[in-house]
Amino acid sequence: MKFVVITLCMFTMAFFFDPWTPLVFWVSVLLLQILFSQIDWKKWLLFMLPFFIMAFGYFWTTLVFAKETTGPIIWSFGFVHVTEIQLDHALSLSLRVLAFSSLSLLFALTTNPVTFILSLMQQLKLSPKIAYGILVGFQFLPVIKDEFIQIQQAQRLRGVVQKKNAIQRLFATRLVLIPLLAGAVRKAERSAFAMEARGFTGERRSSYFHVISVGKVDALLIVLFLFVLVFSCTNTFWLG
Amino acid sequence: MHNVISFEHVSFRYPDEEKWILNDFSFAVQKGTRVVLTGPSGCGKSTLLYLCNRLYPENCDGILTGKIKLLGKDSSSFIPGEINHRIATVFQDPDAQFCMQTVEEELAFTLENLHVKREEMDNRITEVLALTNLSEFRYSIIQQLSGGQKQQIATACALIMEPEVLLLDEPIAHLDPYTAKHYIEWLDQLQQKRKLTIVAIEHRLYLWGDFFDRIIPLNESEEVSALSKRMTSMQSETSFQAIKIETKNFLKSTSFTLQRGEIAILVGPNGSGKSTLLKALCKLLPASGLVEPSFLGYVPQSPEFLFLTKNVKDEVAYGGGYDVDNLMDRLKLMDIAPSHPFAISHGQKRRVAIAAMLCDGREVILMDEPTSGQDAMALSELFQLIDGRAQEGTTFLIVTHDMEFAYCLADSVLLMDDGRLTGKFPAKDVWENDRLLLEHHLLPPKGLMLREKSFA
Amino acid sequence: MLKSWKLKEIVLMSLFSVVFGIVYLLFLHVGNIWAGFIGPIAYEWIFGIWFIVSIICMYIIRKPGAAVISETIAAAVEVLLGNAVGPRLILSGVIQGLGAEAVFAATRYKRFDLWVLMLAGIGSSIFSFVYGYLLGGFTVFSMGYVALMLGIRILSGALIAGVGGKAVADGLLATGSLRGYAISRPKKGDVRA
Ligand SMILES: Nc1ncnc2c1ncn2[C@@H]1O[C@H](COP(=O)(O)OP(=O)(O)OP(=O)(O)O)[C@@H](O)[C@H]1O
Ligand SMILES: Nc1ncnc2c1ncn2[C@@H]1O[C@H](COP(=O)(O)OP(=O)(O)OP(=O)(O)O)[C@@H](O)[C@H]1O
Ligand SMILES: [Mg+2]
Ligand SMILES: [Mg+2]
Repeated sequence: MKFVVITLCMFTMAFFFDPWTPLVFWVSVLLLQILFSQIDWKKWLLFMLPFFIMAFGYFWTTLVFAKETTGPIIWSFGFVHVTEIQLDHALSLSLRVLAFSSLSLLFALTTNPVTFILSLMQQLKLSPKIAYGILVGFQFLPVIKDEFIQIQQAQRLRGVVQKKNAIQRLFATRLVLIPLLAGAVRKAERSAFAMEARGFTGERRSSYFHVISVGKVDALLIVLFLFVLVFSCTNTFWLG
Repeated sequence: MHNVISFEHVSFRYPDEEKWILNDFSFAVQKGTRVVLTGPSGCGKSTLLYLCNRLYPENCDGILTGKIKLLGKDSSSFIPGEINHRIATVFQDPDAQFCMQTVEEELAFTLENLHVKREEMDNRITEVLALTNLSEFRYSIIQQLSGGQKQQIATACALIMEPEVLLLDEPIAHLDPYTAKHYIEWLDQLQQKRKLTIVAIEHRLYLWGDFFDRIIPLNESEEVSALSKRMTSMQSETSFQAIKIETKNFLKSTSFTLQRGEIAILVGPNGSGKSTLLKALCKLLPASGLVEPSFLGYVPQSPEFLFLTKNVKDEVAYGGGYDVDNLMDRLKLMDIAPSHPFAISHGQKRRVAIAAMLCDGREVILMDEPTSGQDAMALSELFQLIDGRAQEGTTFLIVTHDMEFAYCLADSVLLMDDGRLTGKFPAKDVWENDRLLLEHHLLPPKGLMLREKSFA
Repeated sequence: MLKSWKLKEIVLMSLFSVVFGIVYLLFLHVGNIWAGFIGPIAYEWIFGIWFIVSIICMYIIRKPGAAVISETIAAAVEVLLGNAVGPRLILSGVIQGLGAEAVFAATRYKRFDLWVLMLAGIGSSIFSFVYGYLLGGFTVFSMGYVALMLGIRILSGALIAGVGGKAVADGLLATGSLRGYAISRPKKGDVRA
């Protein structure tokens, strides 16, 4: 299961503080991504953009606010002195952000939520009550946007005036948010009724219509990932 | 013969209301019989059905006294969901009874709940869809089906469980007359074959012929005189214009005009695009074309969509309307004036939406199936209200599957088929044109046939 | 634990978690960009947002587990929709939820007034901060900076999650759609509220 492997990677990464480990890791994740998955790169860049910025933010705050002030000073401007250890930490933190984010993006962009939940239920024995609860929740996802527009339209039909002013508009969203949530409550109730009416008792099922299995590709990917993980953790020994 | 459902001195009320919806009510349904519950809108029919499938009292914290026995056991001895595959339900609101995305998933979900083996699932799904004549919708997204289609799918979902008892809450309210007729014939055969017990709720009993063995009136309804044909109030001046309305994926280019005071009825088979057209006219769907005027009144097929306020009275008066009390009185909404618009019966919701639109003093009002789920009393009130408004110069475009209502009200008839407006006809030309009627899944109205008989 | 839950409560909780999962994600992006300019402290102001779902759900449903589970689902939704922190975020969701849950558990799920809700927000703040401190590498920052971060986060948890969450739920209650859930029950009979 992709999910378990990725979590494992993250934890391991969190314990390494030198800049090389995340860097190697990040690069290899990218490589894997290029080799094995069809990802829309434009989308990927768009998603990654905020993380580049964040990485940068981490970089400089660690530089300025870090508590280790020992070690040889390499740069200094004004009264800020940057030591080697600080630079190391800063680089490691920000690269870690990049490694984490590319990893989870890989996960998010290659995983279909519905399959994911079904497989959680089938392989990891998640309670069907929760699993189907979330599934219903997910079906609400594409509808949320429509609902949002619909509520505004209904209000328009009933003669609620649209505010011109941007700030007033912002306040008006509050008028939409509560009905939106109220709609969610009603939808939840209806779905629950419908599920019950279809004989859903919440007990474990004995067979599934869509069986989610761990395929060969998944297994291969897991092995590769573990390899990358081990490789990047041990690189300090290889690269000196 | 033993009883599958029996109520002994049952009283029930919702937690926030003082009024008892059911009061010391007793009845029993024998195995293999066909029973229909009738009574005016809001008298508690749907509530009763919810008690029969055990969704209530648990899910609404309702207060229940007396004894309900289902399939020979006390109803409270079942856990939620346990009884529901033996007592299957088709609910009243087509929008409120599905939990999965596509028809196939919905059916598969049901089968999983029954612990059907995987190998059998596919067969059973194919079988039930063939039985209900819905095979073409197997992969459809439920959300995108029309109201009538949803209602039919709901029946398929109930049948796939092979239940012993079938509870039907106004199952044909959204079906076109032709499909409704077939539905009844088909249900008749199915009941005989499977020895089903059927408990249905229905306002328009005459459509069912002698289908039912027994009628259980929940409440005495007042005698209402039959509708009679109205005088036309059409004026010569044009009040509404739609030019080349078209949506991207379904509706083909449509143009028509309406006169001041005209009542036009829009009819056509289920899924022909009536609701889509109305939504496009109100700009609820992205559509190209021109609509004049743009400020329209609209009563949607699912009325909940409109509600904004916390009680019925405010809801009706929302548009700053006039004549609120009178309207509410005539549409029998006075009793529930302080209730929350979402916590009232289905027919009441629809009437609230209608009242709200009639109060606003709009020039042109579009209504999507205002007649479905209404009792005879409400229907006659509605008829008179619309007639009155039309005489004052309001223009109406009304979608309905009720041929009597259409026949008595219509000045002109717009026919739709497969996303296309077949044309606009003077009303009287349509009712006698068998080819047009058949092509659009319509049946000649009873009123007309009676009249013809008396001429003969 | 879920035995005593009604199906509709579970579905409600999941639905809210999904809705707020999206809200969280939006704020995460906003926070990220902001953090790029002023550093990780940028998150602290709005951190309360990420606890709000557990408080809303618990306030409405009032059954053991509502806080943890809802926060976990919301985190999972965030991950599935694509975000920076990845599956690890689910764990932090669990921990934040536990923080709130601990407070509710301490009142034996009996009190749900504003103070308790604010405390729950604070509970989440503290739990999440300790977790972040151990894992997130805050160790490299100076003590003063860390204390400032914690202070702001607690404030944010109490105000945004506690007060804000209550305001949202009360707004919903006023629409009448929460009939049939625990939140609309204590008004009658039970005099304690
Ligand atoms: N959730 C609810 N909470 C409180 N009161 C309700 C709720 N649902 C319905 N009621 C009230 O209970 C009464 C009976 O409603 P019910 O839905 O059973 O009517 P019905 O006979 O099915 O009517 P219709 O023919 O219009 O569908 C109505 O007066 C309604 O106002
Ligand atoms: N959002 C949508 N996306 C795609 N197709 C849709 C959507 N909504 C409706 N349709 C399709 O458009 C067709 C017309 O639907 P519409 O609801 O207008 O029918 P209708 O004439 O009102 O039928 P009914 O009498 O059953 O209410 C249906 O076949 C439906 O499948
Ligand atoms: Mg009803
Ligand atoms: Mg329709």
